[in-house]
Amino acid sequence: MSRWRRSVDELAARRRQQAECERAQDALGRVTSCFQQLAASLGSSADGSFLRDELDETRAVAHRICRGLARRLLRLLSDCDSTPSGVEDRRVSERLWVLFLSALENFLSDLHKASDLIGQFPLTQRCDRRSLVNTGCVDGVVGVASRVASVQVPWLTLEEESRPDLTNHMAGLEVMLAEMQLKVPVAFWSVEATQPAWAEAAGDPDDPDDSLERLMEVQLPNRQLAACCCWPA
Amino acid sequence: GVTVSGLFLSLWYKHNMSCMSMKHQQIRMEAFVVEMQDPKNGIKGSEQKLNVTTIPHVIAGKDIISWITNKMKTTAEEAEAFGTMLVAYGYVYPLQNHKKLVMCNDATLYRFQTPYFWPTEKWVAEDSDYGEYSTTGDQGVQHRVRGPKSGFSVQSLHLVMFGLFELAGKERKKPDRVVFDCQERAYWIVNRPPRRTHSALDSGPDRLIDPITENMFYQQAIMRSKVKSSVSLGALVKYITTYKNHDPFLAPCAPSNPWQTDDDSYWTLNMRRVDLPTKMRVERWSFSLFELLSDLRGRDDFKIFLKKEFSGENLAFWEAAEELKWGTASSMSTKAETIFKTFLAPGAPRWINIDGRTMGLTVKGLDHPHRYVLEAAQTHVFLLMKKDTFFRYLKSPVYKDIQKKALNPEPHNFSPAQLEQNAKNRNPGIHPILLWQQEEEEKAKAAAAAAPVDVKAMMNKIDRKK
Repeated sequence: MSRWRRSVDELAARRRQQAECERAQDALGRVTSCFQQLAASLGSSADGSFLRDELDETRAVAHRICRGLARRLLRLLSDCDSTPSGVEDRRVSERLWVLFLSALENFLSDLHKASDLIGQFPLTQRCDRRSLVNTGCVDGVVGVASRVASVQVPWLTLEEESRPDLTNHMAGLEVMLAEMQLKVPVAFWSVEATQPAWAEAAGDPDDPDDSLERLMEVQLPNRQLAACCCWPA
Repeated sequence: GVTVSGLFLSLWYKHNMSCMSMKHQQIRMEAFVVEMQDPKNGIKGSEQKLNVTTIPHVIAGKDIISWITNKMKTTAEEAEAFGTMLVAYGYVYPLQNHKKLVMCNDATLYRFQTPYFWPTEKWVAEDSDYGEYSTTGDQGVQHRVRGPKSGFSVQSLHLVMFGLFELAGKERKKPDRVVFDCQERAYWIVNRPPRRTHSALDSGPDRLIDPITENMFYQQAIMRSKVKSSVSLGALVKYITTYKNHDPFLAPCAPSNPWQTDDDSYWTLNMRRVDLPTKMRVERWSFSLFELLSDLRGRDDFKIFLKKEFSGENLAFWEAAEELKWGTASSMSTKAETIFKTFLAPGAPRWINIDGRTMGLTVKGLDHPHRYVLEAAQTHVFLLMKKDTFFRYLKSPVYKDIQKKALNPEPHNFSPAQLEQNAKNRNPGIHPILLWQQEEEEKAKAAAAAAPVDVKAMMNKIDRKK
């Protein structure tokens, strides 16, 4: 096979891998955000065995995405290509790398927080429920759980991974972070953004009346609407 | 409201660094909050009716305060302060007026914050996370975005926006969504970076440094004149070598240090108007013109020398300028006029010889005299004296004479019994009023002696004698 043919194939393969990683990164973002949502209910009146099971499920999904993504990113950044198109490719890969490591860091801190809270509010006995703080949340995590379940990642069905418990999960992530940073030298400050800030946040027309102020409106006796959360100065 | 929260927030930031005691306090606080919301013995809650939904578990400020008062067996004021602390630290958040972190002793509504958002030592809120939250604003749960933590470039914050948003919250029931948004908003009001935070990616005091003014500060520092350390250290060494025998901590005083032996001969021998100064004092005059002039006894000696040389006008001008600098504001214009007439005017009786430029500036300044109007001229005169007159003085018979005559007291050698005796018989010293009177007399004499000879009066006197 000619060298030109080979390089074109390599390029195409790399692009495919990058697209795969991008989708996985997207999914990881969703899953870790779901995890944060669930963890925010720990210790509150919405806490319970269902919540904690969901937390574990979400964690397991995140774990599998992370393992696969780490492996693929390492592979992507290990081979070097000095041709002009290769430089551009490298930049894309580096961006994915930075995104992944950031997401890992965030997720790890959430795991630590969740671990602390679970330690603080063990639900081993019935009377333990009394110490759960009445925050006003009743039980809203069903939808979150279904969201997690709907996440699609290319290798999720392919690979059967073990499900570590919380402590081992955290330890494993820390090791992973350290190893990855050792193996691949990527200068974080050199990676540039590709989109203006908050591009997604700006364009969501679905729920116009969902600002907190609007939600917190009450009807006063004289039929005027008043914001419940900010008294007029 | 800001002042209260600011106070407790500053306490919070200050205590962030300590470990053990804070952690114990936190654990106690958390247990306390759990008790507060106990379904049986805690504060009775009610429902919050909103237009769109109803949210349970709302408590009124007055109920909280009365519960704390009973529980802690304290006064209502203390309970209110404690309650405010709970709000300021973020264990409880207000529903109305959410930016004012105080506990009000009325029907104001509050809710318990979820433990995930409770204050904790280990996971300090990152400024970059606050940036993420505040940019999305109260859109809240719909636009959750996860971002990279500190240490990344500002650009990488934007990286985050690339495809990392999720719509998890949309799946929750509306009341819970409202509650979560409230919780999150309350968390960030407690944990937002202080005002004047310019850099969200630094931490601690570094983030309060404004890069623009900091840059100006460094630019000015570069423009300042500099001296090589070898030069400045050499000057320091020279100073130490010169003065080391005269420092009462490093060398013994002659005859003895009054603070140590309670014998005040040292002070008596070195008073302002002694006839014969001590040898150490005279030696000190030779160090620099500044030392000579600062010691009034030395200045007297210098004046004697200058009288012999008929060049007393420089020193007279220097003293007059000192008087202007240190005198009262009301006397300034008269003094300035006298000085001008005596020293600076063309043909003045004691005209000082300074360069034309300085003279011009000084005369112009005297139109509107202020304390430092003679600064330039005074410095010039000082330098003249320093470079010329001073060294001639040191070589003069006047100085050599006083050097010979100066006293060299024998060092004291007190026994412990004598020291005790000294301590009992401490001299109270001369009354300051007497000292002041003496000084006034001397001033008057000096003024009379130094006054320029009034030729006309002299002539009149001679005429009358005739």
